[in-house]
Amino acid sequence: MNTTRRQFLRSSSALIALPVFSSFEHKAFAAAKKSKNQLPPKRLMFLSFGWGVTEESWYPDINTPGADYKLPDGLSPLKRHKKDFSVIQGLYNKHSHDGHSGSTFWLTGANRYSQAGVSFTNSVSADQVAAQQFGRHTRFTSMPLNGSHPKISGDGHGEGLSLAWDNSGKPVAGYNSPFAAYHKLFSKGDVSIDQLKTMLNQKRSILDTIQGNAKYLQKKLGKNDSLKLDEYLASIRDIETRLVKEEQWFDIPKPKATLKEPPKEADGKQDIKLMYDIMIAALQTDSTRVITYRQPVRTLLKSIGVNVNQHDMSHYHQTRAEKLDASERRDKAQSALLSGLLDKLKSTKEADGSSLYDHTSLVYGSNIRTGHSLDNCPTIVAGGGAKIKMGENLVVRKDTPLCNLWLTLLKESGVKVDKHGDSTGVLDEIKA
Amino acid sequence: MKVKFLVVCMASFFAVSLPADEKSSHTLFDIKNKTFIEDNCQRCHNAKKKKGKFRVDNLSYKIDSNKTAGIWQKILNSLNAGEMPPEGKKQPEANAKADFLDALASTMVEARKKLSDQNGVITMRRLNRREYKNTLRELLGVEINVNELPADTESGFDTVGANLFMSSNQFEQYLALGEEALEEAFTWELEAGVNHKKRFEAEYLTKKYKKYVEKTLDKQKRSRAWIAKFDEAAGLPENKELYAALKKKHTWKNKVRDKWQELPGAPNPKDFGFKEVHQINSGENPYYLAYHQHYLTLPKAEEGAYISVPTVHPFMLPTGFVEFNTPSKWPPGNYLARVRIGAKQDAPFNRKVIEFGIDAPHGKVMSTHRITGTHEEPQIIEMPFTLTRKHKDRENRQIFIREKASDYHISHKRKFFNEEKKKNGLGPEFVVWIDWVEIERLPNDKRVTPPALKALGISLTDDKGLMRADLLKAFTKFTELAFRNKEVSEEYIEKIYKIYESRRKGGENHRDSLRYSLSIILSSPMFLYISEPLKDQQHKTLSGEEFAMRLSYFIWGAPADAELMSIAKSGKIYDHKVLAKQTERLLGDPRGEDFIHSFTYQWLGLDRLDFFQVDIKKYRTFDDSVKLAAKQEVYESVKHVLSNNLSMKNLLKADYVLANNVLADFYGIEGVKGDHFRKVKLLKNSPRGGLMGMTAVHLMGGNGIETSPVERGAWVLRKLFNTPPPPAPANVPMLSRLSDKVLTTRERQKAHQEDPQCRSCHRKIDPIGFGMENFDAVGLWREEDSYYPHDKKGREIKDKGKTWKIDPAGQLHRGQSFKNFFELRDIVASNTENFTKGFCEALVEYAMGRPTGVSDELLIESMLKDSKGYKMREIILSLVKSKQFRTK
Repeated sequence: MNTTRRQFLRSSSALIALPVFSSFEHKAFAAAKKSKNQLPPKRLMFLSFGWGVTEESWYPDINTPGADYKLPDGLSPLKRHKKDFSVIQGLYNKHSHDGHSGSTFWLTGANRYSQAGVSFTNSVSADQVAAQQFGRHTRFTSMPLNGSHPKISGDGHGEGLSLAWDNSGKPVAGYNSPFAAYHKLFSKGDVSIDQLKTMLNQKRSILDTIQGNAKYLQKKLGKNDSLKLDEYLASIRDIETRLVKEEQWFDIPKPKATLKEPPKEADGKQDIKLMYDIMIAALQTDSTRVITYRQPVRTLLKSIGVNVNQHDMSHYHQTRAEKLDASERRDKAQSALLSGLLDKLKSTKEADGSSLYDHTSLVYGSNIRTGHSLDNCPTIVAGGGAKIKMGENLVVRKDTPLCNLWLTLLKESGVKVDKHGDSTGVLDEIKA
Repeated sequence: MKVKFLVVCMASFFAVSLPADEKSSHTLFDIKNKTFIEDNCQRCHNAKKKKGKFRVDNLSYKIDSNKTAGIWQKILNSLNAGEMPPEGKKQPEANAKADFLDALASTMVEARKKLSDQNGVITMRRLNRREYKNTLRELLGVEINVNELPADTESGFDTVGANLFMSSNQFEQYLALGEEALEEAFTWELEAGVNHKKRFEAEYLTKKYKKYVEKTLDKQKRSRAWIAKFDEAAGLPENKELYAALKKKHTWKNKVRDKWQELPGAPNPKDFGFKEVHQINSGENPYYLAYHQHYLTLPKAEEGAYISVPTVHPFMLPTGFVEFNTPSKWPPGNYLARVRIGAKQDAPFNRKVIEFGIDAPHGKVMSTHRITGTHEEPQIIEMPFTLTRKHKDRENRQIFIREKASDYHISHKRKFFNEEKKKNGLGPEFVVWIDWVEIERLPNDKRVTPPALKALGISLTDDKGLMRADLLKAFTKFTELAFRNKEVSEEYIEKIYKIYESRRKGGENHRDSLRYSLSIILSSPMFLYISEPLKDQQHKTLSGEEFAMRLSYFIWGAPADAELMSIAKSGKIYDHKVLAKQTERLLGDPRGEDFIHSFTYQWLGLDRLDFFQVDIKKYRTFDDSVKLAAKQEVYESVKHVLSNNLSMKNLLKADYVLANNVLADFYGIEGVKGDHFRKVKLLKNSPRGGLMGMTAVHLMGGNGIETSPVERGAWVLRKLFNTPPPPAPANVPMLSRLSDKVLTTRERQKAHQEDPQCRSCHRKIDPIGFGMENFDAVGLWREEDSYYPHDKKGREIKDKGKTWKIDPAGQLHRGQSFKNFFELRDIVASNTENFTKGFCEALVEYAMGRPTGVSDELLIESMLKDSKGYKMREIILSLVKSKQFRTK
């Protein structure tokens, strides 16, 4: 590693620990990856939709816990996978009080009022906790995908740029389309390694210049403002971290694309399906091991011929009719899409002959149950990555922290962590 | 000397007035509520039983920390969810519970606000998306599209620094956008003198009609010939049985033809030039043929073109618009399109309006124009537009003109066509005739070089003779301007120069290297952040330059111009008279529109206007131009009050309305001609005048199909009375008991009054909403309303519904009663003080970039006092003159 750059890195006030490891270590790993004896790595996927579900027809009967439950109508498209996923009932985020932010605190469990003097704070999301550990071995530390348009409200996700929030509780931007994610994963560009090196060096001199300017400014700032500028410095360090990574991955060519280039735009349902394909491709090529996806709802409705406004749909209780119908059709469309994703997870093989499904933990849910209801958050877990009971209607104690589930999944996937958000412990009762 | 003295004075004054008062940072929950807790909770949650590890006997009624707030939040939540007291235990009396919830919810809102009070501390902020765009425009003279940057905030004002984050992706976007803006600016600068002009004749469309009609006739001839042969074969006696069987199997006639191969003697479509039978079916009686033929008989069709409604797919024959391509070699710049146009004299009024835009299938309408010329005496309409470097592709350079297809024409074109056809046997009249269109790229001889390029002061294309010192100087000057007069370090400039130099050495030309290096300056923190350095103090008085920037970003969302800067440097900006004059100048400048738009939009929550699609089948006179005009009405009304220094009361009730022709037509106000907004005096009994009479407000209070008394009532409480109801509580049991009943809106909402957890808020919200029920979902006046249950597809079940006369009468919760909307409006208007207070709070937050808090009470009081009867401009002046405004 280049000394001047190390110095440069060290000189920045370290808020984020840089994943530093020698290129020897890195190459040793890359070689190990090819070995068939090595167990396939664990993966985590978090998928969330805004606006909740139809409570009457999405949840299995809470009185029939266990494997012997009747699949409710809203989940009926998942029938062929019934043995390979579980519904968990009773989870919630105790600090969530706002009926319209379906995803802001879903993976963090944070209390937006936890800090005096500000009206909004958040904390690190479960995926980013995993990414700090799993991300060292892959080209992309994590892949936050975001299908809900940042500008047009209407997907019920609330604040944030994706499901991911960094260590200091700041939003992490996501890839907004299958097209963008595809190119990130597979596009090689037509530059030679030498050119790439020159480009990286230029980027470094930009960062150096800009960081110098930030330091110069910071010297004159008051304490509060200086903290604010740390955000800027942190974002520069993020880029620096990425450059370090790019350098490490120089001599390892990007994987061959396992799928066709997706179109630039697609209608809602197709858009989600394409994003699912991208996820499979990203995992299959071991480009990343941690994925989150903020699913669109507004465009999904449009693409399945529903003309009811999404917010109205989530308040179907008063007049039902077309609003309820829309809500039910949304549930089924979402379940059918998920079913397709599970098909692919199962049929995609690892080097040792097992399937992606066997090593992945997928969570599918929302912070909103329905309307403004924030308890018993809809939660589906699938995959063999964390040894959770599959094929069951798992009813846990009412108002168990969602963070207990995140903690369980993280720990069982091998992440070294003792607490997450407002967790009070792991959910032993859901372990297989 | 005088200035310095003043500064010292203010600084010492601050020491006493700014720090938050200890007493005011907590909220008291009225101790009289203790009885409710004792009666309903304490039996289980006491020191001994501690049921659920929760005690209420030792609760603190002084909410002074987030922890205490959390405990009360828990109580509020479990009461709202109906979990406590548990089923089977004695339940509280409904009214007592409603009152308790009401009190606790409001206390919590206040407590949360106090606990998140920043105590006057303003967090440094980066330029938000709007300011970033404006700032580039001020520096470089170009507008670029910044929509790819993440939206700044979903709640609160976009100026609040604490909520403006920065991510690494964003940083890279700044680099790219900076380069884009620079390249655009370079191009405009270098191509400033270029002039091009070209005239296009519109009759190209007539030629298309001719060709299309010829083709259709030929196809019809061949179709009919084939069908005759087919029928002949079907009529053969030996085919009788077979044909009957086919007909039985395929009841639809055209489907039988599909089976021609099964019928001996039937003709092969290929012999008639068809690949498939469905082409024959559609060719037999083309629906629009007579209409298209009629076009060719119109007078002046040979010398121009008529535009009408869309008929067949525009790919085959674009009947709905004409379009013209701006030659691809013409550079970015300001353009003008001139059209020679006329409308049929006796045609209905609403069909004599055209829309102008770029990219007919996808593009947005850029302007709307009413036609006054006739076919005999056409007029010339000029339509300005701008092309940027992004307008590279053909479709982005193609201008179009179409009839103002109020959306109904388009989305229900077949229906509309049929309605017209019934009247005259043909279809919609051809009203608008176009002779030609001329496109001109305007030279800009009077163009002033934009400030940043002027500061740069070197050639953009040629570095011959440029020494290192020249470049260093150029970079320094550019940076000083970009950094808003903050001091620039030599080291920084040196680094920028090195980057330039390495690009040049790498073989890149001067122009590209320059652009690359400058884009780094436009991504540097001292450009992106509005910084007001502090040295170890808690607060300080802003320097003249900082003060000027705060003022200009408040009103323009952009940096101060040269005039304001020179006043700032001389220190005169601290003089109240000079400051007032400058503030008024900024407000009156075209850039002052930024305040009107962006503040008003966020203050009144106009984002809701884009949440819903209006059902244009139900509301036929509503379309996109009405929506645009309705939004504009809000802005124009605020602007009117501001520029005429009127009382805020005019926004609650007025005997005038601000309208253009589109809006006046929609409201049924006569005699308003022309596209511009102007003040129109109202008749005495008009429900218009003031926000509560505006379509925009009613649109937001509904979903585009039906009204929502709850949304409307809550909006009035929030924005007009300035007594916001608490946010919708989570986990309240949903009401679905009445879902299949046919009820009036009032009857349905009565359910809100049954459960105390609903009643606690809805008793305040609903009466106001009902008082506004005379406005339908698009804000038109009505006396009656009806309800039809919907089927699953959302269609009304016609034989099940009912219609009733609207009864707007009601009473505010523990307040005045009203017989109708007019009396309700009077009650609201009599509360101008509260309304104005809400405005002041919003203004302080917006201007200072931090939430308004308890510590601002004195400031707001003085703004009200200075307002000389709630005058908007006086309020703004009072704010900018205040000590807080010039304090960091």
